[in-house]
Amino acid sequence: MTVDSQAPAATAGPTTPRPTRHRTLRRYLGALRRPRGAVGITLLGVLVAAAVLVPLFSSGYDAQSMNTFAGPSWAHPFGTDELGRDIAVRTLYGLRIDLVLLSAGVLTAMVLGTVLGAIGALSRALGLFFQRVFDIIQGFPSLILGMVVALLVGPGMLALSISIVIFALPGFGRLARAGLLSQERREYVLAAQTMGIPRWRVLVRHILPNTIDPIIVHTAIAMVIAIFLETGLSVVGLGIQPPEPSLGSLLNSGVRFLSLAPVYVLGPAIVLILLALSFSLLSDALNEEVLRK
Amino acid sequence: MARYLLRRVPSALLVLFATSVLAFVLPRLAPGDPAVTIAGPDATAAEVAAIRADLGLDRPMVTQYLHWLGDALHGNFGTSYLTDRPVTQLLLDRAGSTVQLAILAALLMVVLGLGLGIIAGSVRRRSARSALDLFSTTLLGTPPFLSGLLLVLLLGIAVPLLPVSGEVSLFADPVIGIQYLLLPALALALTQSAAIARLVRSAMDQARGEDYVQTAIAKGASDTRVTLRHVLRNSLSSALVTFGIRFGELLGGAIVVEAIFARNGLGTLAVTSVNQRDYAVLQAITLLAVAIAVITQLLTEIGLAALDPRIKLESAR
Repeated sequence: MTVDSQAPAATAGPTTPRPTRHRTLRRYLGALRRPRGAVGITLLGVLVAAAVLVPLFSSGYDAQSMNTFAGPSWAHPFGTDELGRDIAVRTLYGLRIDLVLLSAGVLTAMVLGTVLGAIGALSRALGLFFQRVFDIIQGFPSLILGMVVALLVGPGMLALSISIVIFALPGFGRLARAGLLSQERREYVLAAQTMGIPRWRVLVRHILPNTIDPIIVHTAIAMVIAIFLETGLSVVGLGIQPPEPSLGSLLNSGVRFLSLAPVYVLGPAIVLILLALSFSLLSDALNEEVLRK
Repeated sequence: MARYLLRRVPSALLVLFATSVLAFVLPRLAPGDPAVTIAGPDATAAEVAAIRADLGLDRPMVTQYLHWLGDALHGNFGTSYLTDRPVTQLLLDRAGSTVQLAILAALLMVVLGLGLGIIAGSVRRRSARSALDLFSTTLLGTPPFLSGLLLVLLLGIAVPLLPVSGEVSLFADPVIGIQYLLLPALALALTQSAAIARLVRSAMDQARGEDYVQTAIAKGASDTRVTLRHVLRNSLSSALVTFGIRFGELLGGAIVVEAIFARNGLGTLAVTSVNQRDYAVLQAITLLAVAIAVITQLLTEIGLAALDPRIKLESAR
């Protein structure tokens, strides 16, 4: 990847100009300059900043008061809950937990999926086997899969993390395998092979950097899927359990008090929609700018 | 066509087989020995052994699986540990509610999805296009239970138009029944319809660039005619192929939507059975949900392959 600047044109080859890291970065930044990308990254940035900074201007998510089920006011923009806790603050703490849980789950699925995809590209038999496993996972509606996991390991954070990794795995695995296989016959790969570089090294050092784009772009959609899974499972009480705040568990409590305090669900609902929207917009922008070239 | 089926059917069968194995293994992964649980704390070893033999737990796994599968195919899913009633009976009691919900939701999903997609693919004004785009992206990022909650807030509490909790069967009273059904079905349909709408729109955009559309415009065909006869007809198949996938997710979404609207359907039963660790019930629901999802997906694909000659050519390559 670093030879481009001084390498003679003959080795770089006019048919497959290898993009430098610099140029790759520029394409990603280009996506963020598109309207959808700009809105998406701004939204996400504001949400992440709020989630990171919330401990600075609040005294914790379980600060109780006698002021229960208060309506919206300047002190409590989204009201207070059954124990007089500020719902806006609890929502942001919930967002903290969600952001950590969801990104950890999706990144694990990305790494694991890429490894499985790479193994599948190296060995035909294992490749076919993994494809069938992915078929099976994708045959399950996501929430049914989540329920089966919740039944086995008990409802909670662990069940949620496992479900997210399992359900996000096929997307990454398929992209990695397809990407790696499509590069196999390219000249630069043949050149590297002729030079006697071991097969796994060609794969990791030469092919992977050229197939990583679709995988990175897919993380945005995988995040949306993970958000749906967390909130869906938590809202029926099979994911994160109250009083631990998460967007899903807050909505779970909100539903219980829906007729008493309709405002309860608004805070977590708005943050949930904005979070999913920011990732969808980013995904659209990245798809157009990074993949359509 | 035959080759296409040959390629798709084994994969669907494999998913069904794997699901059945998983469903079968599920109760056996649970901590504790069911024979000991049923026998109670005071049982002797002989009594436990008798119950084990009675349940067939002393036979090899493969025999047990085949036996269980045979029973399941005959509609016998065993007995609920919790209520001591046949699982099939429990499922049948609840199925009506979920079937009504799923059918209305699927109809709304197709109608709204196509409607929104066709509008988004037909308007020319840039601002209108962006607004519709943002609308469908937002819908796509709103999980069904959340659309449900917002609909409850809007049409149930702020402007009380429709009932938001409970249900009345369509067969008992169609007029009241549809009022109870409308909001949950709409909630379930919205997210999935946005996915269909986006596909229709991008397929229509792509079709507009094709030569045959340019030819039609050059021949002086009216705007409506070009859109309906040339653009739309060639955009539908790619959108409808997702119907199968979307229907499966719609079934999964029903679990949560039923909880929000306090409907007594299969989803509510599933949630209860996870909380109470009633393995026999969840086993049956999982098997049913995956089977319906996989079969719908297969049927949509077969239907499209029959309608669209291009799919046949692709598979013959």
